[in-house]
Amino acid sequence: MPKLDQDSITSMILKSGVILSLSLIILGVVLIFIRGGGDGISLSQIANYHNPGYTITSKSLLPANFLQGLINGDGLYFISVGLWVLIFTPLTVLIDALVTFGHERNKLYTLLDAIVLFNLLIAIFVIPRFIG
Amino acid sequence: MDPVSILLSFISVIVAGFLAGLLGSLTGLGGGTVLVPVLTLFLGIPIVFATGASLISTIATSAGSASGYTKSKIANIRIAIGLEVATTTGAIVGSLTLIAVYKTGLIWIIYVIFGLVLLISLVPTINRARFELPKPMKPDWTTRIFNLYGTYYDQKLRKQVDYHAVRWWLGEIVMFFAGFISGLLGIGSGALKVLGMDWAMNLPMKVTTTSSNFMIGITAATGSSIYWFAGYIQPFLAAATAIGVLAGAYLGSKILVRITNVRIRWIFFWVLAFLGVDMIFSGIAIKQGLPSTGTVSYIGFGVSIVISIVLLLLLYAKVRRDRLHA
Repeated sequence: MPKLDQDSITSMILKSGVILSLSLIILGVVLIFIRGGGDGISLSQIANYHNPGYTITSKSLLPANFLQGLINGDGLYFISVGLWVLIFTPLTVLIDALVTFGHERNKLYTLLDAIVLFNLLIAIFVIPRFIG
Repeated sequence: MDPVSILLSFISVIVAGFLAGLLGSLTGLGGGTVLVPVLTLFLGIPIVFATGASLISTIATSAGSASGYTKSKIANIRIAIGLEVATTTGAIVGSLTLIAVYKTGLIWIIYVIFGLVLLISLVPTINRARFELPKPMKPDWTTRIFNLYGTYYDQKLRKQVDYHAVRWWLGEIVMFFAGFISGLLGIGSGALKVLGMDWAMNLPMKVTTTSSNFMIGITAATGSSIYWFAGYIQPFLAAATAIGVLAGAYLGSKILVRITNVRIRWIFFWVLAFLGVDMIFSGIAIKQGLPSTGTVSYIGFGVSIVISIVLLLLLYAKVRRDRLHA
């Protein structure tokens, strides 16, 4: 496999991740302003980030509801998905690198990459069950 | 609040993010380190939301700038991923520690630690980039086992640079702390990552800074996920900071190459020192149960300005003396 591709593919994943994320976030903000809120919450409550008790936080925006939120054209979910695209961008880079290390038969770095992926997946899927 | 004032407040956060991204990129400290103090001290945003918005925005700036570095093959992705074993572990421990600290109501500690980390980070940041290439060290056993060799084309030196890293284990230890601080304070902790690769592993400065930038995204993603489920990310605020910080960092990277006057960087360093001192003051004020607005905050501002000027003068004198001796 030509060496060129590993670095270029990483670069491309990072770039497209940022562009996709930012587009979703900006679209979400516009939707919130146009529709005067999102997820059944008013604009002024969404914008009240000075007051933790009175505003919406990521805790109530569950990934299970993301798809339905997007279908409903709900701005809060567009922002949420945009932010999650940011979290998944480095994950994609790690998966891509894992494949490359595997192709190169580089056992040590395949293992190290797998540990990093494991940590990230633990942070996304396991730890959330124990907090909150 | 009416929609117009909401829009204005939203724009003010974008501007704060923009300035943080710009300053973070010009000094090399990263957007989050500037963003959290600006949001808490100037815009009165609760520190949990500030750290949440900061950490997730950090992924955007890391990915944005790393896409350029990886393409030009300066960042060493292999070495970076190997070190991520420690940073991601550290980030998990750090984020869980923040949750524990927040639950016990000892949030003032976060202000103080933040201020201290900011001030301490200034030292290696100011000393940085004095030498393009490190003094050569003999490869050790980790160099061979972990294949810590690399090569890149240095535009400034106009030659292909072959390099190798040493003391992988020490790099991992420093990286664990870098990850811990990232998860605890919601910043990329680039200064600590640079320390790990530059001081501990003896990598060339260009490889260090670019690889550290690439690593920040993976570390921040780990912490951000935990922050999300803990409810520390306020979506509307994070939307504004992600847009602002990314734009600021982008502009910063464009003008950085044009800044030839080193003295102007001292003004930026002073701003950072001020933010660090004022964070410590705010933490102490919160511990003492003092109000965060009014007279107390003005006195804090004033005292912070004086202390930060004195600190910077001391650092400046030290740097001057070191250069004369070098």
